[in-house]
Amino acid sequence: MRDFLSNPILVKELRERFRTKRTVWILTLFLLIMGGIPLGLLLISPSSAGTLGENGELFLISAAIHYAMICFVVPALTAGAISGERERQTLNILLTTQLSPRTIVWSKLVTSLAFTSLLLTASMPLYSLVMLYGNVSPEQVVKLVLFFAVNILFLGSLGLFCSTWIKRTAVSTITAYGIAFCFVVGTGLLFFFLGEILQQIDPERYSQAVVWSLPELQILAGINPVIVLFAILDDSLMPSVEFAFTPWLFFCLLLPGAERAVHAVERISAETGAAQVVELEEAPGSCTIGRV
Amino acid sequence: MIETIHLSKRYGSLRALSDLNLRIEQGKVFGFIGPNGAGKTTTMQILSTLLEPSEGQAFVCGYDVMKEPADVRQSIGYMPDFFGVYDNLTVREYLDFYAGAYKIPANKRNALIADLLELVNLSNKVDAYVDSLSRGMQQRLGLARCLVHDPAVLILDEPASGLDPRARIELREILKQLRAMGKTILISSHILPELAELCDEIGVIEQGRLIACGALDDVSVRARGITLMLVRTLTNRHQAGHVLSQCPLVKDLEEQEDGFRFRFVGGEAEKAQLLQELVNAGATVTYFGESSENLEAVFLAITEGVGG
Repeated sequence: MRDFLSNPILVKELRERFRTKRTVWILTLFLLIMGGIPLGLLLISPSSAGTLGENGELFLISAAIHYAMICFVVPALTAGAISGERERQTLNILLTTQLSPRTIVWSKLVTSLAFTSLLLTASMPLYSLVMLYGNVSPEQVVKLVLFFAVNILFLGSLGLFCSTWIKRTAVSTITAYGIAFCFVVGTGLLFFFLGEILQQIDPERYSQAVVWSLPELQILAGINPVIVLFAILDDSLMPSVEFAFTPWLFFCLLLPGAERAVHAVERISAETGAAQVVELEEAPGSCTIGRV
Repeated sequence: MIETIHLSKRYGSLRALSDLNLRIEQGKVFGFIGPNGAGKTTTMQILSTLLEPSEGQAFVCGYDVMKEPADVRQSIGYMPDFFGVYDNLTVREYLDFYAGAYKIPANKRNALIADLLELVNLSNKVDAYVDSLSRGMQQRLGLARCLVHDPAVLILDEPASGLDPRARIELREILKQLRAMGKTILISSHILPELAELCDEIGVIEQGRLIACGALDDVSVRARGITLMLVRTLTNRHQAGHVLSQCPLVKDLEEQEDGFRFRFVGGEAEKAQLLQELVNAGATVTYFGESSENLEAVFLAITEGVGG
Protein backbone atom coordinates (compact mmCIF):
# COMPACT_ATOMS: atom_id res chain seq x y z
CA MET A 1 0.00 0.00 0.00
CA ARG A 2 2.89 2.32 0.90
CA ASP A 3 4.54 1.54 -2.44
CA PHE A 4 1.26 2.23 -4.18
CA LEU A 5 0.84 5.63 -2.52
CA SER A 6 4.46 6.62 -3.20
CA ASN A 7 4.16 5.71 -6.89
CA PRO A 8 5.70 8.81 -8.57
CA ILE A 9 3.19 8.86 -11.44
CA LEU A 10 0.24 8.84 -9.02
CA VAL A 11 1.73 11.70 -7.01
CA LYS A 12 2.57 13.72 -10.12
CA GLU A 13 -0.77 13.16 -11.85
CA LEU A 14 -2.77 14.04 -8.75
CA ARG A 15 -0.65 17.15 -8.20
CA GLU A 16 -1.12 18.21 -11.82
CA ARG A 17 -4.83 17.44 -11.94
CA PHE A 18 -5.88 19.05 -8.71
CA ARG A 19 -3.85 22.20 -9.23
CA THR A 20 -5.72 23.29 -12.31
CA LYS A 21 -8.83 25.42 -12.23
CA ARG A 22 -10.28 23.13 -14.88
CA THR A 23 -10.74 20.41 -12.25
CA VAL A 24 -12.85 22.72 -10.09
CA TRP A 25 -14.91 23.75 -13.11
CA ILE A 26 -15.51 20.13 -14.19
CA LEU A 27 -16.64 19.20 -10.68
CA THR A 28 -18.89 22.26 -10.41
CA LEU A 29 -20.43 21.68 -13.83
CA PHE A 30 -20.97 18.00 -13.11
CA LEU A 31 -22.80 18.75 -9.87
CA LEU A 32 -24.81 21.55 -11.45
CA ILE A 33 -26.03 19.25 -14.20
CA MET A 34 -26.61 16.33 -11.85
CA GLY A 35 -28.60 18.42 -9.40
CA GLY A 36 -30.04 21.01 -11.76
CA ILE A 37 -31.97 18.73 -14.13
CA PRO A 38 -33.97 16.79 -11.49
CA LEU A 39 -34.65 20.01 -9.57
CA GLY A 40 -35.69 21.75 -12.78
CA LEU A 41 -38.10 18.92 -13.56
CA LEU A 42 -39.65 19.26 -10.11
CA LEU A 43 -40.06 23.00 -10.64
CA ILE A 44 -41.66 22.47 -14.06
CA SER A 45 -44.03 19.84 -12.72
CA PRO A 46 -45.17 20.98 -9.22
CA SER A 47 -47.64 18.05 -9.00
CA SER A 48 -44.71 15.62 -9.00
CA ALA A 49 -42.99 17.64 -6.31
CA GLY A 50 -45.87 16.96 -3.95
CA THR A 51 -45.77 13.19 -4.31
CA LEU A 52 -43.22 12.47 -1.60
CA GLY A 53 -42.56 8.75 -1.16
CA GLU A 54 -44.29 7.80 -4.40
CA ASN A 55 -42.31 9.40 -7.22
CA GLY A 56 -39.86 6.85 -8.67
CA GLU A 57 -39.33 8.90 -11.83
CA LEU A 58 -36.86 11.18 -10.11
CA PHE A 59 -34.61 8.22 -9.31
CA LEU A 60 -34.87 7.05 -12.91
CA ILE A 61 -34.01 10.48 -14.31
CA SER A 62 -31.13 11.02 -11.88
CA ALA A 63 -29.63 7.61 -12.61
CA ALA A 64 -29.94 8.11 -16.39
CA ILE A 65 -28.27 11.55 -16.21
CA HIS A 66 -25.59 10.13 -13.96
CA TYR A 67 -24.85 7.35 -16.41
CA ALA A 68 -24.83 9.74 -19.38
CA MET A 69 -22.34 11.97 -17.55
CA ILE A 70 -20.10 8.99 -16.79
CA CYS A 71 -20.14 7.98 -20.47
CA PHE A 72 -19.27 11.54 -21.42
CA VAL A 73 -16.55 12.26 -18.84
CA VAL A 74 -14.63 8.99 -18.38
CA PRO A 75 -13.34 8.38 -21.95
CA ALA A 76 -12.32 12.04 -22.16
CA LEU A 77 -10.27 11.74 -18.97
CA THR A 78 -8.38 8.61 -20.02
CA ALA A 79 -8.14 8.91 -23.81
CA GLY A 80 -5.26 11.39 -23.53
CA ALA A 81 -3.34 9.70 -20.74
CA ILE A 82 -0.61 8.03 -22.82
CA SER A 83 -1.03 9.90 -26.12
CA GLY A 84 -0.75 13.14 -24.11
CA GLU A 85 2.65 12.04 -22.82
CA ARG A 86 3.64 11.22 -26.39
CA GLU A 87 2.44 14.60 -27.71
CA ARG A 88 4.18 16.41 -24.88
CA GLN A 89 7.38 14.51 -25.76
CA THR A 90 7.77 13.19 -22.25
CA LEU A 91 7.03 9.52 -22.97
CA ASN A 92 10.54 8.71 -24.25
CA ILE A 93 12.07 10.06 -21.07
CA LEU A 94 9.57 8.18 -18.93
CA LEU A 95 10.43 4.94 -20.71
CA THR A 96 14.13 5.30 -19.91
CA THR A 97 13.40 5.35 -16.17
CA GLN A 98 12.89 2.30 -13.98
CA LEU A 99 9.10 2.52 -14.37
CA SER A 100 7.71 -0.44 -16.29
CA PRO A 101 5.08 0.09 -19.02
CA ARG A 102 2.65 -1.82 -16.79
CA THR A 103 3.23 0.62 -13.91
CA ILE A 104 2.78 3.58 -16.25
CA VAL A 105 -0.50 2.24 -17.69
CA TRP A 106 -1.95 1.23 -14.32
CA SER A 107 -0.96 4.49 -12.64
CA LYS A 108 -2.59 6.48 -15.43
CA LEU A 109 -5.78 4.43 -15.07
CA VAL A 110 -5.86 4.76 -11.29
CA THR A 111 -5.41 8.55 -11.35
CA SER A 112 -8.08 9.00 -14.01
CA LEU A 113 -10.47 6.75 -12.11
CA ALA A 114 -9.68 8.56 -8.85
CA PHE A 115 -11.02 11.77 -10.33
CA THR A 116 -14.09 10.06 -11.77
CA SER A 117 -14.69 8.44 -8.40
CA LEU A 118 -14.53 11.89 -6.86
CA LEU A 119 -17.24 13.04 -9.29
CA LEU A 120 -19.34 9.99 -8.41
CA THR A 121 -18.85 10.41 -4.66
CA ALA A 122 -19.50 14.16 -4.76
CA SER A 123 -22.81 13.58 -6.56
CA MET A 124 -24.07 10.80 -4.29
CA PRO A 125 -25.60 13.21 -1.71
CA LEU A 126 -28.00 14.26 -4.48
CA TYR A 127 -29.58 10.85 -4.09
CA SER A 128 -30.78 11.88 -0.62
CA LEU A 129 -33.22 14.14 -2.44
CA VAL A 130 -34.18 11.24 -4.71
CA MET A 131 -34.69 8.95 -1.74
CA LEU A 132 -37.05 11.54 -0.28
CA TYR A 133 -39.36 10.97 -3.21
CA GLY A 134 -39.29 7.25 -2.56
CA ASN A 135 -39.95 4.18 -4.65
CA VAL A 136 -36.26 3.36 -4.28
CA SER A 137 -34.81 0.62 -2.13
CA PRO A 138 -31.35 0.90 -0.55
CA GLU A 139 -30.53 -2.32 -2.41
CA GLN A 140 -31.21 -0.57 -5.73
CA VAL A 141 -28.91 2.32 -4.79
CA VAL A 142 -26.11 -0.13 -3.90
CA LYS A 143 -26.61 -1.98 -7.20
CA LEU A 144 -26.59 1.33 -9.04
CA VAL A 145 -23.29 2.40 -7.42
CA LEU A 146 -21.76 -0.96 -8.32
CA PHE A 147 -23.08 -0.61 -11.88
CA PHE A 148 -21.54 2.87 -12.18
CA ALA A 149 -18.22 1.65 -10.74
CA VAL A 150 -18.03 -1.19 -13.27
CA ASN A 151 -18.86 1.19 -16.12
CA ILE A 152 -16.23 3.69 -14.96
CA LEU A 153 -13.63 0.91 -14.86
CA PHE A 154 -14.56 -0.34 -18.31
CA LEU A 155 -14.86 3.04 -20.02
CA GLY A 156 -11.63 4.18 -18.32
CA SER A 157 -9.79 1.11 -19.61
CA LEU A 158 -11.27 1.64 -23.06
CA GLY A 159 -10.07 5.26 -23.14
CA LEU A 160 -6.62 4.21 -21.95
CA PHE A 161 -6.48 1.46 -24.54
CA CYS A 162 -7.27 3.97 -27.31
CA SER A 163 -4.69 6.36 -25.86
CA THR A 164 -2.03 3.64 -25.96
CA TRP A 165 -3.06 2.41 -29.36
CA ILE A 166 -3.53 5.72 -31.19
CA LYS A 167 -0.88 8.38 -31.51
CA ARG A 168 -2.95 11.56 -31.30
CA THR A 169 -5.16 12.48 -28.36
CA ALA A 170 -7.94 13.96 -30.52
CA VAL A 171 -8.22 10.79 -32.64
CA SER A 172 -7.91 8.61 -29.55
CA THR A 173 -10.75 10.50 -27.83
CA ILE A 174 -13.03 10.26 -30.86
CA THR A 175 -12.29 6.54 -31.21
CA ALA A 176 -12.97 5.94 -27.51
CA TYR A 177 -16.30 7.79 -27.78
CA GLY A 178 -17.14 5.82 -30.95
CA ILE A 179 -16.46 2.44 -29.34
CA ALA A 180 -18.33 3.50 -26.18
CA PHE A 181 -21.29 4.59 -28.33
CA CYS A 182 -21.34 1.20 -30.11
CA PHE A 183 -21.25 -0.50 -26.74
CA VAL A 184 -23.91 1.62 -25.02
CA VAL A 185 -26.28 2.31 -27.91
CA GLY A 186 -25.23 -0.17 -30.61
CA THR A 187 -25.77 -3.35 -28.59
CA GLY A 188 -29.17 -2.07 -27.44
CA LEU A 189 -30.29 -1.25 -30.98
CA LEU A 190 -29.02 -4.61 -32.20
CA PHE A 191 -31.01 -6.31 -29.45
CA PHE A 192 -34.24 -4.52 -30.43
CA PHE A 193 -33.73 -4.89 -34.18
CA LEU A 194 -32.98 -8.60 -33.96
CA GLY A 195 -36.03 -9.17 -31.74
CA GLU A 196 -38.30 -7.20 -34.05
CA ILE A 197 -36.89 -8.87 -37.20
CA LEU A 198 -37.44 -12.34 -35.74
CA GLN A 199 -41.02 -11.42 -34.86
CA GLN A 200 -41.61 -10.12 -38.39
CA ILE A 201 -40.07 -13.19 -40.06
CA ASP A 202 -41.86 -15.85 -38.06
CA PRO A 203 -44.58 -14.36 -35.81
CA GLU A 204 -45.89 -17.74 -34.74
CA ARG A 205 -42.57 -19.22 -33.67
CA TYR A 206 -41.17 -15.97 -32.25
CA SER A 207 -44.08 -14.47 -30.40
CA GLN A 208 -43.72 -11.39 -28.20
CA ALA A 209 -43.40 -13.60 -25.13
CA VAL A 210 -40.85 -15.95 -26.65
CA VAL A 211 -38.56 -13.71 -28.68
CA TRP A 212 -37.24 -11.60 -25.77
CA SER A 213 -36.47 -14.75 -23.81
CA LEU A 214 -34.15 -16.24 -26.43
CA PRO A 215 -30.76 -16.94 -24.76
CA GLU A 216 -28.82 -15.18 -27.54
CA LEU A 217 -30.88 -12.01 -27.18
CA GLN A 218 -30.70 -12.21 -23.40
CA ILE A 219 -26.90 -12.28 -23.52
CA LEU A 220 -26.99 -9.29 -25.89
CA ALA A 221 -29.33 -7.52 -23.48
CA GLY A 222 -27.10 -8.49 -20.56
CA ILE A 223 -24.09 -6.69 -22.01
CA ASN A 224 -26.04 -3.54 -22.86
CA PRO A 225 -25.62 -1.09 -19.99
CA VAL A 226 -28.85 0.81 -20.69
CA ILE A 227 -31.00 -2.33 -20.51
CA VAL A 228 -29.16 -3.42 -17.37
CA LEU A 229 -29.64 0.03 -15.86
CA PHE A 230 -33.39 -0.11 -16.50
CA ALA A 231 -33.46 -3.65 -15.10
CA ILE A 232 -31.85 -2.34 -11.90
CA LEU A 233 -34.42 0.45 -11.78
CA ASP A 234 -37.28 -2.05 -12.36
CA ASP A 235 -38.57 0.12 -15.13
CA SER A 236 -41.34 -0.95 -17.46
CA LEU A 237 -40.05 1.09 -20.42
CA MET A 238 -38.05 -1.88 -21.63
CA PRO A 239 -39.60 -4.89 -23.38
CA SER A 240 -40.57 -7.63 -21.01
CA VAL A 241 -37.29 -9.51 -21.02
CA GLU A 242 -37.52 -12.43 -18.66
CA PHE A 243 -33.84 -12.80 -17.83
CA ALA A 244 -32.71 -16.33 -17.09
CA PHE A 245 -29.87 -14.75 -15.09
CA THR A 246 -29.44 -11.72 -12.85
CA PRO A 247 -28.66 -8.97 -15.40
CA TRP A 248 -26.66 -6.60 -13.17
CA LEU A 249 -24.58 -9.47 -11.82
CA PHE A 250 -23.91 -10.80 -15.33
CA PHE A 251 -22.95 -7.28 -16.44
CA CYS A 252 -20.72 -6.66 -13.41
CA LEU A 253 -18.86 -9.93 -13.97
CA LEU A 254 -18.57 -9.60 -17.74
CA LEU A 255 -17.24 -6.04 -17.95
CA PRO A 256 -14.32 -6.44 -15.56
CA GLY A 257 -13.46 -9.51 -17.66
CA ALA A 258 -13.48 -7.31 -20.77
CA GLU A 259 -11.48 -4.68 -18.89
CA ARG A 260 -8.85 -7.30 -18.02
CA ALA A 261 -8.71 -8.31 -21.68
CA VAL A 262 -8.17 -4.68 -22.69
CA HIS A 263 -5.32 -4.40 -20.19
CA ALA A 264 -3.80 -7.63 -21.41
CA VAL A 265 -3.71 -6.15 -24.93
CA GLU A 266 -2.21 -2.93 -23.58
CA ARG A 267 0.41 -4.87 -21.67
CA ILE A 268 1.30 -7.07 -24.60
CA SER A 269 1.72 -4.06 -26.87
CA ALA A 270 3.71 -2.34 -24.15
CA GLU A 271 6.07 -5.16 -23.31
CA THR A 272 6.72 -6.68 -26.69
CA GLY A 273 7.52 -3.23 -28.07
CA ALA A 274 5.94 -4.38 -31.32
CA ALA A 275 6.12 -0.87 -32.66
CA GLN A 276 8.18 1.20 -30.39
CA VAL A 277 7.74 4.74 -29.29
CA VAL A 278 10.21 6.17 -31.65
CA GLU A 279 8.84 4.31 -34.59
CA LEU A 280 5.49 5.77 -33.64
CA GLU A 281 6.90 9.20 -34.05
CA GLU A 282 8.66 8.41 -37.26
CA ALA A 283 6.01 6.27 -38.88
CA PRO A 284 2.63 8.00 -38.66
CA GLY A 285 -0.25 5.71 -37.95
CA SER A 286 1.57 3.10 -35.94
CA CYS A 287 1.30 3.32 -32.24
CA THR A 288 1.73 1.81 -28.85
CA ILE A 289 3.67 2.43 -25.71
CA GLY A 290 6.83 0.43 -25.85
CA ARG A 291 10.54 0.02 -25.58
CA VAL A 292 13.06 -2.78 -25.71
CA MET B 1 31.70 1.80 -21.49
CA ILE B 2 29.67 2.00 -24.73
CA GLU B 3 30.12 -0.56 -27.47
CA THR B 4 28.15 -1.39 -30.58
CA ILE B 5 28.89 -4.41 -32.75
CA HIS B 6 27.55 -4.50 -36.32
CA LEU B 7 24.54 -2.49 -35.18
CA SER B 8 21.85 -1.95 -37.82
CA LYS B 9 18.33 -0.61 -37.83
CA ARG B 10 15.78 -0.75 -40.63
CA TYR B 11 12.40 0.94 -40.89
CA GLY B 12 10.77 -1.14 -43.59
CA SER B 13 12.94 -0.67 -46.65
CA LEU B 14 14.73 2.35 -45.15
CA ARG B 15 18.10 1.52 -43.60
CA ALA B 16 18.53 4.06 -40.80
CA LEU B 17 21.69 2.53 -39.39
CA SER B 18 24.12 0.21 -41.09
CA ASP B 19 26.80 -1.95 -39.48
CA LEU B 20 27.80 0.53 -36.78
CA ASN B 21 30.87 -0.48 -34.80
CA LEU B 22 31.65 1.94 -32.03
CA ARG B 23 33.66 1.82 -28.83
CA ILE B 24 33.70 4.63 -26.29
CA GLU B 25 35.94 4.24 -23.25
CA GLN B 26 35.03 5.33 -19.72
CA GLY B 27 35.34 9.04 -19.03
CA LYS B 28 35.54 10.02 -22.70
CA VAL B 29 33.36 12.60 -24.39
CA PHE B 30 32.32 11.32 -27.79
CA GLY B 31 30.84 13.72 -30.33
CA PHE B 32 28.49 12.44 -32.97
CA ILE B 33 28.48 14.54 -36.12
CA GLY B 34 26.12 14.12 -39.01
CA PRO B 35 23.28 15.78 -40.85
CA ASN B 36 19.60 15.24 -40.03
CA GLY B 37 18.53 11.68 -40.74
CA ALA B 38 22.09 10.35 -40.64
CA GLY B 39 21.31 7.88 -37.85
CA LYS B 40 22.57 9.73 -34.75
CA THR B 41 19.22 9.73 -32.95
CA THR B 42 18.53 6.12 -33.94
CA THR B 43 21.85 5.05 -32.40
CA MET B 44 21.15 7.01 -29.24
CA GLN B 45 17.67 5.56 -28.94
CA ILE B 46 18.97 2.02 -29.32
CA LEU B 47 21.54 2.71 -26.60
CA SER B 48 18.75 4.15 -24.42
CA THR B 49 16.64 0.97 -24.81
CA LEU B 50 13.93 2.86 -26.68
CA LEU B 51 14.52 1.08 -29.97
CA GLU B 52 15.22 -2.50 -30.81
CA PRO B 53 18.06 -2.95 -33.32
CA SER B 54 17.33 -4.97 -36.45
CA GLU B 55 20.78 -6.58 -36.29
CA GLY B 56 23.86 -6.43 -34.13
CA GLN B 57 24.47 -5.82 -30.47
CA ALA B 58 24.90 -2.80 -28.23
CA PHE B 59 26.36 -2.67 -24.74
CA VAL B 60 26.33 0.11 -22.16
CA CYS B 61 28.52 -0.34 -19.07
CA GLY B 62 28.80 -3.99 -20.05
CA TYR B 63 25.02 -4.52 -20.12
CA ASP B 64 23.35 -5.74 -23.29
CA VAL B 65 20.62 -3.24 -24.27
CA MET B 66 18.38 -6.08 -25.44
CA LYS B 67 18.92 -8.58 -22.63
CA GLU B 68 19.47 -6.29 -19.65
CA PRO B 69 17.46 -3.13 -20.40
CA ALA B 70 16.72 -2.31 -16.74
CA ASP B 71 20.45 -2.28 -15.91
CA VAL B 72 21.15 -0.16 -18.99
CA ARG B 73 18.47 2.35 -17.95
CA GLN B 74 20.00 2.61 -14.50
CA SER B 75 23.40 3.32 -16.10
CA ILE B 76 22.34 6.05 -18.51
CA GLY B 77 20.93 9.54 -18.44
CA TYR B 78 19.16 10.22 -21.72
CA MET B 79 18.22 13.65 -23.01
CA PRO B 80 16.32 13.61 -26.32
CA ASP B 81 16.65 16.38 -28.90
CA PHE B 82 13.14 17.60 -28.16
CA PHE B 83 11.43 17.02 -24.86
CA GLY B 84 8.50 18.56 -23.03
CA VAL B 85 7.94 19.37 -19.41
CA TYR B 86 4.94 18.85 -17.19
CA ASP B 87 2.62 21.76 -16.49
CA ASN B 88 1.77 22.67 -12.94
CA LEU B 89 4.90 21.14 -11.43
CA THR B 90 7.62 23.12 -9.73
CA VAL B 91 11.30 22.46 -10.44
CA ARG B 92 11.62 20.60 -7.13
CA GLU B 93 8.55 18.45 -7.85
CA TYR B 94 9.76 17.72 -11.39
CA LEU B 95 13.08 16.36 -10.13
CA ASP B 96 11.34 14.61 -7.24
CA PHE B 97 9.11 12.81 -9.76
CA TYR B 98 12.07 11.48 -11.71
CA ALA B 99 13.93 10.61 -8.51
CA GLY B 100 10.89 8.52 -7.60
CA ALA B 101 10.87 7.00 -11.08
CA TYR B 102 14.44 5.81 -10.43
CA LYS B 103 13.37 4.49 -7.03
CA ILE B 104 15.57 6.87 -5.04
CA PRO B 105 14.45 6.85 -1.36
CA ALA B 106 12.30 9.86 -0.44
CA ASN B 107 14.55 10.89 2.48
CA LYS B 108 17.54 11.36 0.15
CA ARG B 109 15.78 13.38 -2.51
CA ASN B 110 15.86 16.88 -1.01
CA ALA B 111 19.65 16.93 -0.67
CA LEU B 112 20.05 15.37 -4.10
CA ILE B 113 17.77 17.92 -5.75
CA ALA B 114 19.63 20.80 -4.06
CA ASP B 115 22.96 19.44 -5.33
CA LEU B 116 21.69 18.96 -8.87
CA LEU B 117 20.18 22.43 -9.04
CA GLU B 118 23.43 23.86 -7.76
CA LEU B 119 25.29 22.05 -10.54
CA VAL B 120 23.04 23.42 -13.27
CA ASN B 121 22.76 26.89 -11.71
CA LEU B 122 19.04 26.70 -11.04
CA SER B 123 19.05 26.83 -7.24
CA ASN B 124 17.11 30.08 -7.29
CA LYS B 125 14.34 28.49 -9.38
CA VAL B 126 13.58 25.58 -7.08
CA ASP B 127 9.97 26.67 -6.49
CA ALA B 128 9.32 28.08 -9.95
CA TYR B 129 6.92 26.24 -12.23
CA VAL B 130 8.79 24.26 -14.86
CA ASP B 131 6.76 25.60 -17.78
CA SER B 132 7.64 29.16 -16.73
CA LEU B 133 11.40 28.55 -17.27
CA SER B 134 13.20 29.74 -20.38
CA ARG B 135 14.29 27.21 -23.01
CA GLY B 136 17.88 27.34 -21.78
CA MET B 137 16.80 26.79 -18.18
CA GLN B 138 14.55 23.90 -19.20
CA GLN B 139 17.49 22.37 -21.04
CA ARG B 140 19.67 22.67 -17.95
CA LEU B 141 16.86 21.23 -15.86
CA GLY B 142 16.70 18.36 -18.37
CA LEU B 143 20.38 17.79 -17.75
CA ALA B 144 19.78 17.75 -13.99
CA ARG B 145 17.00 15.25 -14.61
CA CYS B 146 19.46 13.02 -16.49
CA LEU B 147 21.77 13.06 -13.47
CA VAL B 148 19.16 12.32 -10.84
CA HIS B 149 20.23 8.65 -10.46
CA ASP B 150 23.96 9.43 -10.92
CA PRO B 151 24.42 7.51 -14.18
CA ALA B 152 27.87 6.65 -15.47
CA VAL B 153 26.88 7.45 -19.06
CA LEU B 154 25.11 10.48 -20.47
CA ILE B 155 23.45 10.29 -23.89
CA LEU B 156 22.68 13.81 -25.05
CA ASP B 157 20.93 14.26 -28.37
CA GLU B 158 21.45 17.80 -29.69
CA PRO B 159 21.42 19.38 -26.22
CA ALA B 160 22.28 22.82 -27.57
CA SER B 161 19.62 22.96 -30.27
CA GLY B 162 17.35 25.98 -30.03
CA LEU B 163 19.46 27.70 -27.40
CA ASP B 164 20.75 31.26 -27.61
CA PRO B 165 24.55 31.78 -27.46
CA ARG B 166 24.59 32.53 -23.73
CA ALA B 167 22.56 29.42 -22.91
CA ARG B 168 24.88 27.37 -25.14
CA ILE B 169 27.93 28.61 -23.29
CA GLU B 170 26.29 27.85 -19.93
CA LEU B 171 25.41 24.35 -21.09
CA ARG B 172 28.92 23.77 -22.40
CA GLU B 173 30.42 24.80 -19.05
CA ILE B 174 28.16 22.31 -17.25
CA LEU B 175 29.19 19.57 -19.68
CA LYS B 176 32.83 20.37 -18.96
CA GLN B 177 32.10 19.93 -15.24
CA LEU B 178 30.46 16.59 -15.96
CA ARG B 179 33.48 15.50 -17.98
CA ALA B 180 35.67 16.46 -15.03
CA MET B 181 33.42 14.29 -12.83
CA GLY B 182 34.36 11.29 -14.97
CA LYS B 183 31.06 10.83 -16.79
CA THR B 184 31.16 9.16 -20.17
CA ILE B 185 29.26 11.41 -22.56
CA LEU B 186 27.85 10.65 -25.98
CA ILE B 187 26.74 13.93 -27.50
CA SER B 188 25.45 14.95 -30.88
CA SER B 189 25.27 18.47 -32.15
CA HIS B 190 24.92 20.58 -35.24
CA ILE B 191 27.06 23.26 -33.63
CA LEU B 192 30.29 21.62 -34.67
CA PRO B 193 32.82 24.03 -33.13
CA GLU B 194 31.23 23.38 -29.75
CA LEU B 195 31.95 19.68 -30.06
CA ALA B 196 35.52 20.40 -31.07
CA GLU B 197 36.15 22.11 -27.77
CA LEU B 198 34.40 19.49 -25.69
CA CYS B 199 35.05 16.12 -27.29
CA ASP B 200 37.93 13.68 -26.88
CA GLU B 201 36.75 11.67 -29.85
CA ILE B 202 34.36 12.23 -32.69
CA GLY B 203 32.40 10.02 -35.03
CA VAL B 204 31.12 11.23 -38.37
CA ILE B 205 27.94 9.48 -39.45
CA GLU B 206 26.22 9.86 -42.78
CA GLN B 207 23.34 7.85 -44.25
CA GLY B 208 23.48 5.39 -41.38
CA ARG B 209 27.19 4.60 -41.80
CA LEU B 210 30.05 5.65 -39.57
CA ILE B 211 32.50 7.06 -42.04
CA ALA B 212 35.16 8.35 -39.67
CA CYS B 213 35.81 7.79 -36.01
CA GLY B 214 38.61 8.40 -33.55
CA ALA B 215 40.45 11.00 -31.53
CA LEU B 216 39.87 14.49 -32.80
CA ASP B 217 43.42 14.89 -34.07
CA ASP B 218 43.39 11.49 -35.79
CA VAL B 219 40.22 12.15 -37.71
CA SER B 220 41.07 15.70 -38.18
CA VAL B 221 42.18 17.86 -40.75
CA ARG B 222 45.89 17.60 -40.39
CA ALA B 223 45.83 13.84 -40.88
CA ARG B 224 43.74 14.30 -43.98
CA GLY B 225 45.64 17.35 -45.12
CA ILE B 226 42.56 19.53 -45.13
CA THR B 227 42.20 22.58 -42.94
CA LEU B 228 39.63 25.33 -42.74
CA MET B 229 41.83 28.41 -42.73
CA LEU B 230 41.29 32.06 -41.92
CA VAL B 231 43.54 34.88 -43.23
CA ARG B 232 43.20 38.51 -42.12
CA THR B 233 45.11 41.37 -43.69
CA LEU B 234 45.55 45.01 -42.70
CA THR B 235 46.31 46.37 -46.16
CA ASN B 236 46.55 45.12 -49.77
CA ARG B 237 43.56 42.89 -49.33
CA HIS B 238 43.11 42.70 -53.10
CA GLN B 239 46.61 41.22 -53.62
CA ALA B 240 46.03 38.71 -50.87
CA GLY B 241 42.80 37.63 -52.55
CA HIS B 242 44.63 37.25 -55.85
CA VAL B 243 47.39 35.07 -54.32
CA LEU B 244 44.83 32.85 -52.59
CA SER B 245 42.67 32.44 -55.70
CA GLN B 246 45.74 31.44 -57.73
CA CYS B 247 46.91 28.83 -55.22
CA PRO B 248 45.83 25.30 -56.35
CA LEU B 249 45.76 24.10 -52.72
CA VAL B 250 43.08 26.64 -51.76
CA LYS B 251 39.47 25.43 -52.13
CA ASP B 252 36.12 27.12 -51.58
CA LEU B 253 37.61 30.58 -51.07
CA GLU B 254 35.19 33.00 -49.44
CA GLU B 255 35.88 36.69 -48.88
CA GLN B 256 34.21 37.84 -45.70
CA GLU B 257 34.22 41.05 -43.70
CA ASP B 258 36.88 39.84 -41.29
CA GLY B 259 39.11 38.20 -43.90
CA PHE B 260 39.35 35.17 -46.19
CA ARG B 261 38.05 31.70 -45.31
CA PHE B 262 39.02 28.68 -47.35
CA ARG B 263 39.75 24.95 -47.20
CA PHE B 264 43.46 24.30 -47.56
CA VAL B 265 44.55 20.95 -48.96
CA GLY B 266 48.12 20.66 -47.83
CA GLY B 267 50.54 20.18 -44.97
CA GLU B 268 52.51 22.56 -42.77
CA ALA B 269 55.20 23.21 -45.41
CA GLU B 270 52.62 24.27 -48.00
CA LYS B 271 50.99 26.55 -45.43
CA ALA B 272 54.33 28.24 -44.74
CA GLN B 273 54.88 28.68 -48.49
CA LEU B 274 51.45 30.25 -48.92
CA LEU B 275 52.12 32.69 -46.09
CA GLN B 276 55.42 33.58 -47.70
CA GLU B 277 53.66 34.26 -51.03
CA LEU B 278 51.11 36.51 -49.30
CA VAL B 279 53.88 38.53 -47.63
CA ASN B 280 55.84 38.72 -50.91
CA ALA B 281 52.72 40.06 -52.65
CA GLY B 282 52.71 42.96 -50.18
CA ALA B 283 49.77 41.87 -48.03
CA THR B 284 50.11 42.88 -44.36
CA VAL B 285 48.94 39.64 -42.79
CA THR B 286 47.61 40.04 -39.25
CA TYR B 287 46.23 36.52 -38.86
CA PHE B 288 47.07 33.29 -40.67
CA GLY B 289 45.70 30.14 -39.02
CA GLU B 290 42.96 27.59 -38.55
CA SER B 291 39.41 28.81 -38.34
CA SER B 292 37.30 28.02 -35.28
CA GLU B 293 34.87 26.17 -37.54
CA ASN B 294 37.50 23.55 -38.21
CA LEU B 295 35.29 20.62 -37.35
CA GLU B 296 32.91 21.73 -40.06
CA ALA B 297 35.77 21.37 -42.50
CA VAL B 298 36.38 17.85 -41.24
CA PHE B 299 32.73 17.04 -41.66
CA LEU B 300 32.53 18.55 -45.13
CA ALA B 301 35.75 16.88 -46.23
CA ILE B 302 34.83 13.47 -44.90
CA THR B 303 31.26 13.46 -46.15
CA GLU B 304 32.23 14.81 -49.55
CA GLY B 305 30.91 12.37 -52.11
CA VAL B 306 29.04 10.19 -49.60
CA GLY B 307 25.67 9.36 -51.08
CA GLY B 308 26.38 11.65 -53.94
